[in-house]
Amino acid sequence: MSTPDQEYFLRRIRRALNSKPDFSHHGSPLFAHAPSPEELQILDNHRRRTAADRNALLSQLMEAALPIHLCVIPVPDLIAAATAIATLAEAKKPEWSAVKNIIVWRHPLIDLMELKAPLNRLKIPLHRTEPMDPAADPTQDRIEREHLRSAVTASYIGVTSADLCMADTATLVLRNRPGQPRSVALVPSIHIAVITLDQIISDMKELFALLRWDDRFRSEGLSNYMAFISGPSKTADIEATMVHGAHGPREVYLYVVSGK
Amino acid sequence: MPDISPETYVKVAKKGIANPVLQKALAGLQDRFGRGTAEAYRRLPEGPELRFKAHDIREKAIAHLDALLEILAAKIRANGGVVYFAQTAKEAVNYCITVARQNNVHRVVKGKSMVTEEIGLNPALQAAGIEPVETDLGEYIIQLAGEKPSHIIAPAVHKNRHDIADLFVKKTGIRRTTDPSELTQAARKALREKFLSADMGTSGVNIACAETGHITTVSNEGNIRMATTLPRIHIAFMGMERIVARLDEYEILLRLLCRGAAAQTMATYVSYISGPRRPGESDGPDEFHLVILDNGRSRILADPQFKEILYCIRCAACLNVCPVYGKIGGHAYGFAYSGPVGAVVTPLLTGINRAKDLCLGETLCGACMDACPVAIDLPRLLLALREKLAYGDENWQVKPASRMEGLAYKAWSYLIGHRYIYERFLKMAGVGQKLFPRSGTMIRRLPPPLAGWTQSRNFQPLAKETFIEGWRNKKAISNTP
Ligand code: SF4
Repeated sequence: MSTPDQEYFLRRIRRALNSKPDFSHHGSPLFAHAPSPEELQILDNHRRRTAADRNALLSQLMEAALPIHLCVIPVPDLIAAATAIATLAEAKKPEWSAVKNIIVWRHPLIDLMELKAPLNRLKIPLHRTEPMDPAADPTQDRIEREHLRSAVTASYIGVTSADLCMADTATLVLRNRPGQPRSVALVPSIHIAVITLDQIISDMKELFALLRWDDRFRSEGLSNYMAFISGPSKTADIEATMVHGAHGPREVYLYVVSGK
Repeated sequence: MPDISPETYVKVAKKGIANPVLQKALAGLQDRFGRGTAEAYRRLPEGPELRFKAHDIREKAIAHLDALLEILAAKIRANGGVVYFAQTAKEAVNYCITVARQNNVHRVVKGKSMVTEEIGLNPALQAAGIEPVETDLGEYIIQLAGEKPSHIIAPAVHKNRHDIADLFVKKTGIRRTTDPSELTQAARKALREKFLSADMGTSGVNIACAETGHITTVSNEGNIRMATTLPRIHIAFMGMERIVARLDEYEILLRLLCRGAAAQTMATYVSYISGPRRPGESDGPDEFHLVILDNGRSRILADPQFKEILYCIRCAACLNVCPVYGKIGGHAYGFAYSGPVGAVVTPLLTGINRAKDLCLGETLCGACMDACPVAIDLPRLLLALREKLAYGDENWQVKPASRMEGLAYKAWSYLIGHRYIYERFLKMAGVGQKLFPRSGTMIRRLPPPLAGWTQSRNFQPLAKETFIEGWRNKKAISNTP
């Protein structure tokens, strides 16, 4: 499907390019149909990763997280994570209102965490995002969206998981899915992510090799919206002074469930 | 229409040089980022050489630009997005206004984008009765002040905390504070309201990837994520050249972009966007539009001499090392793009004669090329522009900038080709120069048309004897027994 504006536009580009130069000397085709040797190596390393490798990645992640003010906290299990989150929720003050609300993703790992009980004790209401009915009529659709909008703006903490985390740059990778709205990691003042140890990968090269060639990741691809998040929002626009919390979350915590 | 004023380069540059606040800010900026970026390149596992690989990647992408854009457009449409190819700034702006009108949009929150600056989106929206709100903190400050960005990445670098404090008191009515974190908090609060109430968000595009069909946006503040998540409609504006074929190539460019732009290993937020929210998703925009802009780029593409500037990913690394930018600041360049990249792009986009001072003003020291993450040979491009200015060029409608200069060089080449006349000339000049005022042994002021040369420096007078005369005398002395 093309449009007249596109036809005209591309015709001009073709005319400008005139003839295609030969790029065989660059040694890589325009598009690839199979993993390169380097990517095969990366995928192989990914498959063979041992428990020791994983812990090494965790250490690397913690080191990379320090300078960007991302708090990485290894926890033995989900109960410990829930307890830690409740403690944090008790200590922190909401930024935009007097009352505390927490919004969490509908996600297998987060569901298992049982946050409800400890938060109940603190009398902090918990909102869980739900996937919308894809066939909802426009009115229903609007109501549900407004519901999410008001819950997420009322919350001072948003809890999500992530697809993966890159140790090299301390970067969380989140893909969009129904029930896992991106605003939960964006609008509340504090973003908390919970992942398991095996979700840590080495770097962007590994991420892209997985997204390009590994069937588990390939089927979903990058989704319609994939976010990299490396620590809290920051700016240095006023006299180059670093300030955290420009528009996005002011604080980001990452709990890594290590299963030990 | 965008405000384009490269003609005032000399005047604004002089003002910049005389402005102590700007001088201090620019020195600080260059000291930090210039060095930080070089260090960040050195720390790359592949070393600074990776920049040459990135150059190849960009070269290849530009050579296949038609195919890559076609694939990108098809994938975005398949994901429910709308793609519009805008030939001119006006078409791009009108498209945005049409979409805004159709959807009854009153307020637009903007993520920082130099392309929207290039096409003059803000004044056009305002004229159409729609409120544009810049949300990048630096851009927000600039918008409140009614000014123009003076740096691609740090738009408000020319303002210090006292300027900003006064501005915020005047425009937003907050209690006066000069603390950057309190000022940031004030902007955060004001802009949160805007994000939550805007009907449309706009962004630029840092790099798109054809293979996956995504555009990407990069920011540290999170404003672009807000602007592309909360409003009903997202329109992204992309210079047609900002695309690569594959994810593995994208990976290299993103790493270099973060290092070039802010000496970071990774920006806080990188978003990959390929369409509006899908059924079942409860946030994200209902509509996603991608506007791909030519606005003079295909003309650059058609010229093998200048095509290389299309490899640029607008990281601003060249600004952060440029000795000229470091003194005159960004406003002198009179357009969205400043520094070395502006000195090349602005003449090509707005007219070479018109923007001639920009490329004549740079020093050709080559620092920009070493800082550029995609190793663009900026000095070569500047020289090519100067060549056009010297000889004129029909393709680019360039008239020779100075006939006097051409004549002077003709005369000079005649002189040095004729030894006898040359020596007479030197003798005459040697006598004539005694008339000029001196400072020590140096000549302090030359008469027109050479007056410009001594405006800010002294001139070394001609030696008493020429080299050849000196050589002869020396030989004569050493030959006497
Ligand atoms: S020319 Fe190079 S250094 Fe300058 S903005 Fe473009 S990519 Fe960055």
